[in-house]
Amino acid sequence: MNNVKVDALVIGGGIAGMQAALDLGDQGYQVALVEKEPSIGGKMITLSKVFPTLDCCSCITTPKMSAVAHHPNIQMFTYCEVESVDQQENGFDVSVLQKPRYVNADTCTGCRLCEYACPITVPSSFDRGLGSYRTARVPFSTAVPQIAVLDIENCILCGKCEKVCPVGAIDFTQQPETFSIDTTSIVLATGFELTDLDAKNEYGAGELPNVIDPLMMERFLAPTGPYGRVLRPGDGMEPMTIAYVQCAGSRDETLGIEYCSRTCCMYAIKQSMLISGALPLAEVTIYYMDIRTFGKGYEQFYQNAKAMGVEFVRGKVAKITEDENHNPVVRVERTEEGDVVERTFDLVVLSLGMVAGDPLSKFGLTPAEDGYIKIPSVNASPCETRRPGIFVTGTAGGPMDIVDSIVTASAAASAASAYIRSKTQVGIEEREVAHV
Amino acid sequence: MSEKPKIAVYTCYCGGNISHTVKCEQVAKLLAEQPDVVVSRTNMSLCSDAGQSQIEEDIRELGVNRVVIGACAPSLHEQTFRKTVIRAGLNPYLYHHIGLREQDSWVHTCDADGATCKAVRLMAAGVAKARLLDPLEPIQLEAEKRALVIGGGVAGLRAALDIADQGLKVVLVEKTPFLGGRMAQLDTVFPTGEEAHILLADLIDKVVNHDKITIFTQTEVTKVSGYVGNYGIQLTQHSRGVSAENAKALQDACQQMVADEFNYGLTERKVIYQPYHGCYPPLPAVDWEHYNGEPININGKSEILKDEIQQFELSAGAVVVATGFDPYVPREGEYGYSELPQVVTLPQLIRHMALNPGAKSLEWQGHKVRDIVLIHCVGSREIEGIDEPQEDGQVNNYCSRVCCTATLHMIEELRENFPKLNIYDLYQDIRTYGRGHEDYYINALDNGTRFVRYHGEEKPKVFAAPKGDTHPVLVHVTDALTYNQELEIPVDLVVLATGMQPRQIDDLVKMLKVSRGNDRFLLEVHPKLRPVETAVNGVILAGTAQGPMNIQESISAASAAAAKVISLLGSGQVELQPFVAAVDPEKCNGTGACVEACEYEDAIALETFVEDGKEVTRAVVTPANCTGCGACVAVCPNRAIDVQGWTLAQYEAMVDAIAMDIVDLVEAG
Repeated sequence: MNNVKVDALVIGGGIAGMQAALDLGDQGYQVALVEKEPSIGGKMITLSKVFPTLDCCSCITTPKMSAVAHHPNIQMFTYCEVESVDQQENGFDVSVLQKPRYVNADTCTGCRLCEYACPITVPSSFDRGLGSYRTARVPFSTAVPQIAVLDIENCILCGKCEKVCPVGAIDFTQQPETFSIDTTSIVLATGFELTDLDAKNEYGAGELPNVIDPLMMERFLAPTGPYGRVLRPGDGMEPMTIAYVQCAGSRDETLGIEYCSRTCCMYAIKQSMLISGALPLAEVTIYYMDIRTFGKGYEQFYQNAKAMGVEFVRGKVAKITEDENHNPVVRVERTEEGDVVERTFDLVVLSLGMVAGDPLSKFGLTPAEDGYIKIPSVNASPCETRRPGIFVTGTAGGPMDIVDSIVTASAAASAASAYIRSKTQVGIEEREVAHV
Repeated sequence: MSEKPKIAVYTCYCGGNISHTVKCEQVAKLLAEQPDVVVSRTNMSLCSDAGQSQIEEDIRELGVNRVVIGACAPSLHEQTFRKTVIRAGLNPYLYHHIGLREQDSWVHTCDADGATCKAVRLMAAGVAKARLLDPLEPIQLEAEKRALVIGGGVAGLRAALDIADQGLKVVLVEKTPFLGGRMAQLDTVFPTGEEAHILLADLIDKVVNHDKITIFTQTEVTKVSGYVGNYGIQLTQHSRGVSAENAKALQDACQQMVADEFNYGLTERKVIYQPYHGCYPPLPAVDWEHYNGEPININGKSEILKDEIQQFELSAGAVVVATGFDPYVPREGEYGYSELPQVVTLPQLIRHMALNPGAKSLEWQGHKVRDIVLIHCVGSREIEGIDEPQEDGQVNNYCSRVCCTATLHMIEELRENFPKLNIYDLYQDIRTYGRGHEDYYINALDNGTRFVRYHGEEKPKVFAAPKGDTHPVLVHVTDALTYNQELEIPVDLVVLATGMQPRQIDDLVKMLKVSRGNDRFLLEVHPKLRPVETAVNGVILAGTAQGPMNIQESISAASAAAAKVISLLGSGQVELQPFVAAVDPEKCNGTGACVEACEYEDAIALETFVEDGKEVTRAVVTPANCTGCGACVAVCPNRAIDVQGWTLAQYEAMVDAIAMDIVDLVEAG
């Protein structure tokens, strides 16, 4: 594979990485975008609707994915992982591993015939294990690029996909390949992971079938979701009583995560509102310590949810068990009423928090105490890391919601472009016409 | 129009937003029957890459030459699909967009059949218009590679610096005589504890020494004309009133004192002043608003200071609005404010602490403070029907985002400096959401701060204590943490954590034609798609003019604003939409009615030509100045003017299609 030379390398193709790449590309810089999954889109593409506007998530994400794919200044490298970053005189030499898709990316048309022919079904990670997909597949319907990928771990090498492929793109002999990207600057947009569903023994340690994580609920509510409606995973029953347990993975000393994950209040409220649309008779209760609806339009969103009948109960849930029918039982001290109650629900959603995603060592960076990238001067240069030329955006720099991620992405693009210009004097004079 | 229309129609599900109400498949089926429609499809999410590829394929494979899309509002994705159409080689203006989501499915959720009928009518109208579409070319204009940044606070400074660092010229305008804005009034900042003035001095130093940035202080924008790429700006600047030579003597001799707004009225200053040591510019300035006009005596001469107002004209390709916020000022009597001397705002306490560094004990008006209460959400999270409205009749129902952490940051300072102080914190929800912010809350819980949770419907009450009481003030509050016990807290000082209010910038808002949201802060186009851009092309938002933000967030927003300005102006050229008035020379006989009706400067004028030896007068449009409002179209007696892309003939065709009986629509197929 040929070596690539760019002004900026964006690592991570979620919403923050895509926005940073688009802003850098729009400013006329050459950008490489590296994504470890077979499609860009990040976690956002799996969501249903997004707060506070309740736009369908696809309507925001997919056009940005498409814009990245078609941008003349952006080269996209999916299913790739950064292996090492070496400092050069005027930038970085980044070694990137192209994982084998076992499909020729140049010839595959995304027709999905391989997918229809594949006999092996595995739980879909896109649907957080709630649905299933084939071993040979296009990752999801709006994936970018629309190129199939073969999950060799689960493949039985039956060759059916190879037989049906009209362009002969299936290639079982593909090997991992390494190539290098020579770049002046790097923008880290490596995102976050949810705290583990099984992290807290008091909350059932992941053993209770009807205690789920919030991204599972997103898939239930998404129009592209596995069932097209909200069903509890334990037995497929339509839940009529649903509880949200706030701060289930944040503000919790026992988990070692003392910080606030910043998004959980809003996503719980949003999901409650969407549930009242999907299941008009369902009752939703949110157990919370503080409701942190701090963003623009968020407080009104909270007040609307209250007016819609979502029940807010103040109290940190102490324990979740289940009854003989696998109905979760929530034990909580209601601080306003001054009593301890146990209440049975059909479904419980743990409002899990955010923890740092990719390890930082390969970028020569060390994490701060909270596990996220250390930002030495947040009140002067909120996107700069300790290493000059390496910038951070989105949830790689700490928990934040989509709105804030997008703004920090543009900010990181601005910081990176100033750095590129100072290093290379690439002029904005030679750029194309701006479209307004 | 030479070629026969071959129309492709797409009805988008919008991920359920449309299809949950509108029966999209039925709509598509009916539209397929319409004349000239060669293909009619539905899609779960047409704006996705797969959806866009389908459109491209239809244009290429089926020879489609007109595209009609029913989806979300055009403000979201009209541009997206224009680019799609361009990629397939079709003129982008041979595509028409219908907002089925905002105009139909979202407003008729309870009437699926009605909404479906309406969708059919709207789409049929789109098809009728599409038949009459002509290819258009965008208007290409040279752009001025200079940005105007309004506001010299931290957001304006950062935006100016980031834009200038990319080689564009910047004019930075500040209304007051000094740079730094609200940040200069802070002492230390969360979450790092750095001193605000040091951070600010570093930023100002970079801005001041940047060869691409011109700074105007004591200056306001007084006129705006033009359009993106070529805004004409008039600046009005007050004079400093003193010179480097006479500044010190004048300041020494000046006797007139006024309340110092830098310290929120806690102290007084002269009318010739510098707000703080190390401010920029260092030269003092005259406070013209308060100067009483009386002579000042220096060296035996008496001098009357005169404000010489200067005006400047400049052109700018884009405008960054970084006008900031005002701290909420409680009404008289709100929590005892301005009635009881022991009630202050948090910004006032911050100044008080900064003015008394190293004090052994917290003193307020000569009395030692033993017990202090801090009340959150003053002027924020107000509830309609419960809280008294603001002057404009609205309540501040938003969260001001910074006050919780600012209050807890203050509590940490108080605890460190005055360990024996009894601190009470009255809150609704503690919103220490940011990275490192929760630590302030944890520390306060550990260091003996007493937290009391009140409900917004039942706010704490502040009274003067009866004479002879141990403390001057009593606070009554119902505590939701102790099962709604009624508490009476005797205290020496009440601190109101006041929120952020939108600035009074009505003139500027009007001049720039930008909109405000329900919260009265300036409104972005869309919080995720275009979070720092306004609906006016080339007018970009930075910082707290848009809504409450802390310093870190303001800086990010400012840098984001800079990125948009650079994308817009970097090439030196901008494109405008071609939806402007066009005159048909065959029909125009120069009545001039259009010129009279036009509200825009230099958009349309009568010109005289010589044709075949005869003089004729006709209207001529300057496309760059025309907004396509259509006022001229309405008054032309000869129907000689049309707005391109929205012609009268197109409107008539649309109205006819909408008014048609659905049965006829079906039969017409």
